[in-house]
Amino acid sequence: MPAASALNVLVVDDQLTMRSLIRNSLQQIGVREISEAADGELGLRAAITKPVHLIISDFNMPNLDGLGLLRAIRAHPPTSKTAFIMLTGRADRELVQRAVQFGVNNYLVKPFTTAQLKEKLEGVFGPLT
Amino acid sequence: MSDDPFEAIKVTFFQECSELLGDLETNLLALENGEGDIETINAVFRAVHSVKGGAGAFGLEDLVRFAHVFETLMDELRSGRKECDDVTIKTLLRASDVLADHIGAAQGVAPPVDAARSAGLVAELEVLTHGQAAAAAAAAPVAAAADEDDFGFTPLTLDLADFGAPVELPSLELPSLELPSLDLPDLAALTSAPLAAPSAAGWRIVFRPHPRLYASANDVSLLLRELTRLGQTSVELDASGLPSLEALEAEDAHLIWTIVLTGDVSEAAVRDVFDFVEMDCDLSITALGGAPASVEADLPPLPVLDAAPAEPEFDIAALLAKAAAPVEAPAPAPVVAAPEPAVVAAQAPVAAPAAPAPKPVAPAAPAAAAPSSPAAVAPVTIRVDLDRVDRLINVVGELVIQQAMLAQRVMESGLARSSDIALGLEDLELLTRDIQDSVMAIRAQPVKSVFQRMPRLVREVAEMTGKRVRLVTAGEDTEVDKTVVERLAEPITHMLRNAIDHGLESPEEREAAGKPAEGTVRLAALHRSGRIVIEISDDGKGINRPRVRGIAVDRGLIAEDAVLTDDEVDNLIFLPGFSTAETVTDVSGRGVGMDVVRRSIQALGGRISISSNPGKGSTFTLSLPLTLAVLDGMVVSAAEQTLVAPLSAIVESLTPRVEDIHHVGGHDAVIRFRDEFVPMVDVGRVMGFRDDATTLTGGVVMIVETEAGSRAALLVDAINGQRQVVIKSLETHYRHVDGVSAATILGDGSVALILDIDALVTAGRRKSNRPELKMAS
Repeated sequence: MPAASALNVLVVDDQLTMRSLIRNSLQQIGVREISEAADGELGLRAAITKPVHLIISDFNMPNLDGLGLLRAIRAHPPTSKTAFIMLTGRADRELVQRAVQFGVNNYLVKPFTTAQLKEKLEGVFGPLT
Repeated sequence: MSDDPFEAIKVTFFQECSELLGDLETNLLALENGEGDIETINAVFRAVHSVKGGAGAFGLEDLVRFAHVFETLMDELRSGRKECDDVTIKTLLRASDVLADHIGAAQGVAPPVDAARSAGLVAELEVLTHGQAAAAAAAAPVAAAADEDDFGFTPLTLDLADFGAPVELPSLELPSLELPSLDLPDLAALTSAPLAAPSAAGWRIVFRPHPRLYASANDVSLLLRELTRLGQTSVELDASGLPSLEALEAEDAHLIWTIVLTGDVSEAAVRDVFDFVEMDCDLSITALGGAPASVEADLPPLPVLDAAPAEPEFDIAALLAKAAAPVEAPAPAPVVAAPEPAVVAAQAPVAAPAAPAPKPVAPAAPAAAAPSSPAAVAPVTIRVDLDRVDRLINVVGELVIQQAMLAQRVMESGLARSSDIALGLEDLELLTRDIQDSVMAIRAQPVKSVFQRMPRLVREVAEMTGKRVRLVTAGEDTEVDKTVVERLAEPITHMLRNAIDHGLESPEEREAAGKPAEGTVRLAALHRSGRIVIEISDDGKGINRPRVRGIAVDRGLIAEDAVLTDDEVDNLIFLPGFSTAETVTDVSGRGVGMDVVRRSIQALGGRISISSNPGKGSTFTLSLPLTLAVLDGMVVSAAEQTLVAPLSAIVESLTPRVEDIHHVGGHDAVIRFRDEFVPMVDVGRVMGFRDDATTLTGGVVMIVETEAGSRAALLVDAINGQRQVVIKSLETHYRHVDGVSAATILGDGSVALILDIDALVTAGRRKSNRPELKMAS
């Protein structure tokens, strides 16, 4: 059973509010290693310089959107196995479909609760301690 | 700051909202001016989307609902399904106003949103989004779709133990291509033989998914589970279409389910289960008892997997190369990575650092702060609690005072000016000033944040008054102290309202006067001699001087026969209780006169003046200090009191000669200054430090300029020198004193009052002029 505290998570969102909310929830779940990036490009750079286990990324972002980030992450061998959870709005079914094509691991609909985020993490990693 | 992280994030959210609103307005105005492109529309979409996302997290339902409709239209625009025409942009601008209202209301800083206005705009946005006819019908489905957040998605699981194993391109197998794990209560039924004919009423459902259904991340097991909730089910799986393993095309669909659902269930309830997949499957629902449908007959041949939705191509390689390129300052060698590997090591099974595993790099600074690339240099910012900045400013203020005191002590000790100590002190003074300037710069903000709010105001006032107005702004990047910026909003708002309501004529009147029907209001900011000047001008009718004068006489503000210059008449509108509006209008008749505006400007150490040209328009000029913390002053003494005059007001100082001083009407003294007679103000007497008018010679005269541009000669006993002083509010520690703007602490530790030149000059005039005005009446 993987420990949440062992997870290394990169949060990519152009909104500070959203990054803070995710960080806050992750901390409640027990994740300790959390880094942030403010758009897809910065996220890609961060993920390449310092690999992480999981990227939680928004879809709508300037410079490089979440889907582009996902594709780049998957295309880059050292990061291709990184788990990827896409943040979407409600009713954004089409987006999830597109993300599935590029190997997204899970999605999280905004707004979300800490319990929902945990559920999504566990959907990817199995039960977390 | 609250201790509750959630509340703290909420504060962040509202801060971010105001930034987003600013971006929104800027981008919409760019679109309006025809300067926008698809990226501008995208930026607007993102701003609204971000507001909605954050609002959802905090349960701000009204805000979410409004933002959702707004966002939907923006989505249509950015996808090109709808054209971004003038009507749309105008609506978007008004929608951004209402969005701002919703945010303000949610934050609790604004009154509740005008529900009718909001609903009206929602309707307008929907008409634009869906077209007139469809708008009403669209409202409901939108709400229904908004509730959907289960996409029947099966997470792609990942074993953390794999992490760091030799890497390869991941096999992007779609999760739904595997047979769903059928952990249904009636699992046995799945493989059982065709079922016995149902006895109770119910439905026979034949369900044949298309490949697209799987590709869309739907999970059949979820649908089946959903059906079991409706009643007793038995499920039959027809896997006969499944080819042999070698021939298996992983992306095709081969399975057919037949579900017999018994119980009192409506067909609609059954259809609901398949609501979101209906397009991606063959579905036949027949009532039990009816002729069993033949699957083959009902189902058209399976289509091959649709081509994946076209994804925009972009150069991933280039992107990766760019991202992998070293940042200008390469990260230091992994020396400080201690905490991280320690954790990893302790959790060895989770992430054993195998050979090509993530090499511990120095803990990355928050990526957001890292420059994205040498080419695109975005300003790097950090958010700092304002309290911390103010504490720093306070301490630096004390440092300045202490430095001044030290310098004075050293001077008094009789050390030579060339001594090491004196020279060192001079350096210290320069450094102190540097620190002070730098600290002040932290608080400096562009006036943009205030200017950005004005287009909306102008739109609204124009709408209410039926006038056509164009707002021109200039100098938005002019910086001034944060407090000044914040407190500028109200007076500027008021003056803009006045300019449109009272200043501009109606389109008809304007055309009759040979002017363009659309009036222009200009709002500009600029730096001038160490102050910030804000100009608000209109090309309206100008001040109606006879009327202003008449009102002033009626109210007993001036004598009927008082002789006033045009400027003086214009400035009468700043007198308390003066209001030229004959009828109280919705727009500017809020009981707030220009005197209130003037007082709020004065409270900031600023001045306001007006110049008007009948038929051509009026210009209001605000002049404000750049900072509320320090002042370059001239230290003077009058009647044994030490006073400080703001250096910015002083034109010249001189020792008056007897022959230059003249008396007007046997009472008022004027001094001849460069072929001009300037009224003299005896500071000691006007301030009430002494009663008798002493001789006007023997002292020193400072020629000062008031904000209105008129000059006066302040008579003091002596000038002690020029000094930068730290402003300490007198009102906080004592109360407002006429003629005094603030106080300061001097180098010797004594308190000195800082003179309010305009008030002083006015008071001086009153002391001498009033009796005459009275005599005349």
